[in-house]
Amino acid sequence: MELRVNLNGFELKNPIMTASGTYGYADEYEVFTDVSNIGAIVTKAISINPKKGNQGERIFETTSGMINRIGLENLGIKEFIEKKLPILKEKNINFVMNLAGSSFEDYVEAAKIAQKEGIKAIEVNVSCPNVKEGCLEFGVDPSSLSKLISAIREVYLGFLIVKLTPNVSDIESLALSCEKAGANAISAINTLKGLGVKIEILPNGEIKKTSVQGGLSGRCIKPVALSMVKRIYSVVKIPIIGIGGISCLEDVLEFFSVGAEAVQIGTENFTNPAITGQIIQDLEKLLLKLNLKSIDELKRKLRE
Amino acid sequence: MRKNHQGTVIKNIEIKKDIYELKIKSDMKEAFAGQFISVLCPNKTLRRPFSISNFNNGEITVLYKLKGEGTKYISSLKTGDVIDFLGALGNTFSYENTNSALLIGAGIGIAPMLFLKKEMNEKGIKNFLISGFKTNEEALLGSDKTVIGGSVMDNIDEIIEKTKPDTIYSCGPSIVLKLVCKKAEEKGLKAQVALEKVMACGIGVCRGCVIELKDGSNASVCKDGPVFEGEVIQWN
Repeated sequence: MELRVNLNGFELKNPIMTASGTYGYADEYEVFTDVSNIGAIVTKAISINPKKGNQGERIFETTSGMINRIGLENLGIKEFIEKKLPILKEKNINFVMNLAGSSFEDYVEAAKIAQKEGIKAIEVNVSCPNVKEGCLEFGVDPSSLSKLISAIREVYLGFLIVKLTPNVSDIESLALSCEKAGANAISAINTLKGLGVKIEILPNGEIKKTSVQGGLSGRCIKPVALSMVKRIYSVVKIPIIGIGGISCLEDVLEFFSVGAEAVQIGTENFTNPAITGQIIQDLEKLLLKLNLKSIDELKRKLRE
Repeated sequence: MRKNHQGTVIKNIEIKKDIYELKIKSDMKEAFAGQFISVLCPNKTLRRPFSISNFNNGEITVLYKLKGEGTKYISSLKTGDVIDFLGALGNTFSYENTNSALLIGAGIGIAPMLFLKKEMNEKGIKNFLISGFKTNEEALLGSDKTVIGGSVMDNIDEIIEKTKPDTIYSCGPSIVLKLVCKKAEEKGLKAQVALEKVMACGIGVCRGCVIELKDGSNASVCKDGPVFEGEVIQWN
């Protein structure tokens, strides 16, 4: 039986990955589960310079989900390479480096460093505002996205994944422009724009209002993610990594059925930090039960 | 050492109005005052963190106040029910150089103070615990002085004069902790306070529960805290 999947050249021992921002740099989760068993972990977003992130409240729980506005707080690429990369290598953790930037130059610079360090795979977070050009997100305009991915492709020869934002009307043309620009895979979706509001009426009649504007994630976004993956699958040939509200084996199967070749578990890691190991086990049991030899066979069956 | 546990509820009763005492039997090896556990509440995305108020040979005691859906679920657990939690998480109060301690617990913030008091008693460190509650109905036992209706900071100068602490330890709403830190600074005492924030991961990776320190850096309440030296916190 074969849990292994090959994403267009990037080998995973199984199709279960963890999503950026929900798994740190992986070693932190060793107190909960066997991290080296995971198909691949995607690191927290890394930017050229360290980022302190947003001030004020950063998380807000919603019905079946949460909103975050962390603001990509991270240690910067230099410290990542000095401190975290050796741990990932030593522990033999298969990983993808997630990159964030605020200009074309930032991304290209980071991709050059990834190339120089021999990093096998990167995932480009294109939900960041292009600070130099009107603060529009890179991932909402096909021509700016295409320009960005082409520029990264020129300097980075490893496995290049683009993580698409769902906050667009025409996901198909964005996915196509990534494919044309030389991306090796697409991961979808990033968080949805959302606003959490909490109104409390205090005993003295005063009204207390809390609100957090940020990215919505968790189980509630799964139907949106499934729809996006299906739409992307209908137009591109490169593999798709499905992300959005996955919390159990059934969810993984749903993503396979609409075209995902692998999946990333995100917010569920907070709810159940041992979820990855459990899903990998369940997947193995399912293949046995259905008498299937590989994940590819399972996917074919699910897409019939 | 794994930090995810499946414990068994051995006690879960309302001991005061809307305040419950939960006892869990578990395979957790150790826990110290200041640390917390993070409880899975079905259908909630985020786990709920609770300070540990006592720990003995795998048996964890937590005091919690009914607040929302999470605590409502926990209050419905019966003896023998399984409870899924992470722990012990966070850092601990430290008292290696403390000879005399003043402990201040505001409201349910008394929970870690009771654990700290027990540890200090075992180590023979002189301590005095003040607790404060809005009403008599919710006043928990175990303090050397209990304030009902007023503020835990009432007559604090007199108490400091009388008990001569070198360090003040506190847990409660941030408005109280800020006053505690200010008072400690004014009196030339050290302070350690346990903060509370909405948390997601509980292990410092998601950066959801960070506070700003005076040196300009961020610290996560769940991993770098919940206990911080009063002098490093940048109060807003």
